[in-house]
Amino acid sequence: MPQSEPGLLQGTLDLLILKSLALEEMHGMGIARRISQITNGTFEVKAGSLFPALYRMEHAGHLASSWGESETKRRSKFYRLTKSGRKRLQAESERWERISLAMANALRST
Amino acid sequence: MFGKRKFEQELDEELRSYVELQAAEKVRRGMSPEDALREARRELGGMDQVKENVRDVRPGIFVDTLIQDIRYASRALGRDPAFALVAILTLALGIGADTAIFSVVDGVLLKPLPYPDPDRLLTLWEHSQADGLKTTVAPANFYDWRKQSRSFAKMAAIDPYPDFILDGSIGSQRLSGADVSADFFSLLGTRMELGRDFLPEEDRPGSNYVVILTYAAWQRYFGGRADIVGQAVTLNGAAYTVVGVLPRDFSFVSKAADYHARNQFDLFRPMALPAPPPQWMRGTHSLCVLARMKAGVALEQAQAELDLIASNLERLYPSQNKGRGIIAVRLQQHVVADVRSALLTLLAAVALLLLITCANVANLLLTRAAARGREIALRAALGASRTRIARQLMTESLVLAAAGGLLGLILVYAGVPALVRHLPADLPRTPEIAVDGRVLISTSLVALLTGLLFGLAPVFHARGSLRQGGRGVIAGQSRLRSMLIVGQIAMALVLLTGAGLMAKSLWTLLQVPPGFRTERILTARLSLPPQYTNGYKFGTGAHREISAFQQRLLDRVRAIPGVESAAFTAYLPLSGADNSWAFVVEGRPPKPPGEFDKVNYRPVGPGYFETIGIPIKRGRGFNSSDNEDGPLVVAINESMARTFWGSTDPVGQRLSFSEDKWRTIVGIVGDVHHHGLDTKAAPEIYIPYSQAPNVEARPIIVLRTLMEPLSMAAPLRQAVAELDRGVPIDRITTMQKLVSDSAGQPRFRTAVMLTFSLLVLFVASIGLYGVMSYVVSQRTPEFGIRMALGATRGAVMHLVIGHAAKLVGIGIALGLTGAALLSHTIATLLYGVAPIDAVTLASVTTLLALVGIAAVYVPARRAAKSDPMESLRHD
Repeated sequence: MPQSEPGLLQGTLDLLILKSLALEEMHGMGIARRISQITNGTFEVKAGSLFPALYRMEHAGHLASSWGESETKRRSKFYRLTKSGRKRLQAESERWERISLAMANALRST
Repeated sequence: MFGKRKFEQELDEELRSYVELQAAEKVRRGMSPEDALREARRELGGMDQVKENVRDVRPGIFVDTLIQDIRYASRALGRDPAFALVAILTLALGIGADTAIFSVVDGVLLKPLPYPDPDRLLTLWEHSQADGLKTTVAPANFYDWRKQSRSFAKMAAIDPYPDFILDGSIGSQRLSGADVSADFFSLLGTRMELGRDFLPEEDRPGSNYVVILTYAAWQRYFGGRADIVGQAVTLNGAAYTVVGVLPRDFSFVSKAADYHARNQFDLFRPMALPAPPPQWMRGTHSLCVLARMKAGVALEQAQAELDLIASNLERLYPSQNKGRGIIAVRLQQHVVADVRSALLTLLAAVALLLLITCANVANLLLTRAAARGREIALRAALGASRTRIARQLMTESLVLAAAGGLLGLILVYAGVPALVRHLPADLPRTPEIAVDGRVLISTSLVALLTGLLFGLAPVFHARGSLRQGGRGVIAGQSRLRSMLIVGQIAMALVLLTGAGLMAKSLWTLLQVPPGFRTERILTARLSLPPQYTNGYKFGTGAHREISAFQQRLLDRVRAIPGVESAAFTAYLPLSGADNSWAFVVEGRPPKPPGEFDKVNYRPVGPGYFETIGIPIKRGRGFNSSDNEDGPLVVAINESMARTFWGSTDPVGQRLSFSEDKWRTIVGIVGDVHHHGLDTKAAPEIYIPYSQAPNVEARPIIVLRTLMEPLSMAAPLRQAVAELDRGVPIDRITTMQKLVSDSAGQPRFRTAVMLTFSLLVLFVASIGLYGVMSYVVSQRTPEFGIRMALGATRGAVMHLVIGHAAKLVGIGIALGLTGAALLSHTIATLLYGVAPIDAVTLASVTTLLALVGIAAVYVPARRAAKSDPMESLRHD
């Protein structure tokens, strides 16, 4: 069941963006597509949420950007992780795993 | 700006590329290119919306939007100049009046005194346990306090009485001086501009022929010459050396009443009290005492120590000090004690004025907001967030407030100097009133606060109209507007009541008969140099040189055409100067030690009662045979006769001033208000000038004239100069002026209150007019329908006026309640008027109601004229 932004927690969106950029640099459209892929279509990120998040994270220093050419030969802005972005990905992933484990345990208990 | 344009371009390009990439993917899935692009755009959800979201997270976004908002606000206000002008002018009046009064309150009440560590400065007073009054201090007591206390770093005394006659190149001048302890200036923390402070060894009898000049006296009498220090000057015929000049900004902060209405001094001399002072100096109470507490000493500790000292002195010197305590008051508190409540009342009044201004501008903004409902809805549709719109409206209000504040500041810069000129002369600390950084900060804060306050109204309105889709929410909005109007009327009523009470009180005060004539009386003060007073000894009652001078001058003055009569006195009513003496009545048992019968003491010359118009009730006044060689006589006033003789007749009885000479009471005269129209007449004793036991070297001449009294000033000056160029003459004024100045404080506050309340009445009536016009324009269709259905014009008018009457009625009811609740705060400022005064309340209510009717008459007429057909077509 695809889910749109209102249900998407901000921390989740940030973490998904960081994760999707872990391997290679990508433009906005690519990031949205990757998020959809890696969550099996659970999250469809819309531009109205995606771009503010990208700009915010770039300003915070987790992302860097440069202009390049897309697969359709169009000038596009590509984002990549910075050092601080990688650290944040690491930290956030661990935190998320702890929380989800705790949540799963809590929900399983009787 | 460049960075911002680049940012916008790149954002645009990035989003376009995003849309194209989205579309390309859809094409890959089999959509036609046109459909794919349209679908991709739809999914984006509005390019502007996305951009707006991104802009909100951009760094530096706050400044950019602020600039943008300010520009937008200025443009929006520029489109409606009439509105902007009215709003800005109203605000300028409110903020300007507020700041002006604040600058006075700040200078007089709030600013710390202009000395280092002002909290440690105290004034010390003797305190009589019998009547609870504070009095000035006996020199011998001061000497003991200083010696025995440990709480104070320094203690100094001031005797404000001495005057100096300066012989100089520009003739004889009278300079007002004070004798001070040598460490007076170091106690205050004042450094000399030129020269040095007094030395301890100069504070001894015979060594004190040195003076320190104020900056103003240095400039005025010595032309500011640079080599003044070390110069010899002749004062009262003796040679003095100038040792120092005070800095320009030195001011001795004091209460005029403590210093015989003179708190501006020209020069200072060391007091040179004998150490220890003789015992008779424990019975004359003449000094003002200042003290600086040691660091870390609390007022309570100092007071406890003084209490101990007082009880020691009481035990040691029961005859003079029985029942005498010491009371310490912080200097700042003491100086402003009498004006505090009046100034705070004015500040409260001006705050009300500002609130009314806010309410009025809020109302104007609401009218505008109603017209702009669609514009706001449009902006919302174009992607502006709710907070963004609120911020924009707020910016508009703040731009208005800032413009109003700036204009108000111009009013303040122009107005405060004029205001200071009109301040009552006895208001303390007036030199410290200035439009300075503190005032600027307060203006900015006030402007900001007013902006935020009235800016809330359109924001609330916009929230409502966004929810309801652009077509103003008439009901809710008009409720807010009605509340604002009711509030304005209520506050206006409170202010008007205050002003009305003060005006009535002033009028009552000015109706008090002063006990003497005020029309066509000229008075002037003369200062007799030492040759007239030398060789005089206390108690002889013989100063023939003074009498001879007075007689020669009277002969000349009476010969001036237009002078009806002339006479001398030593203490003129309402001049601020006073003296009181202890006396005993012949044949009465002596009082226990430390208790005295004391009355005010007035040496006056022959013909004084007739000239100034004090009625002689029994017996006679003084004539030229009541001189050095005649039998000793006195006259007393009715209140003295009543207090000390009750129903028996005092004429023919004898009394004495502790000098073994009996003086016969020959007459009883009417009471006068010596200290002010609002103070009770006190017992007074009149002595013929030439029989006075002490020397009175500053006779005041009183002229009764046939024409405008001030026209006699020049001939009077000339007469004095012809007789003796060495006798300075000053304080030439009329009795009318003295009476009028004596009511200076109530006159000032009444004038300010009246001005404010008239402003408020005007502002509130504009507000009411605006609201009713708006209501009428909103209800025009309704009126049209009513009239189409047969309602008469009168009925429609009635409807509108009824609506307004309801608002005014509620406002008046609230205002009356408020005025009643606040009545006790104004009670101390009133004379002869109860704080809840039916006449005042009734007239103020009527006035407000009439103004209210006038304000709604025009809109009501407009409603009545509405054309049914026109109205039905409307909208």
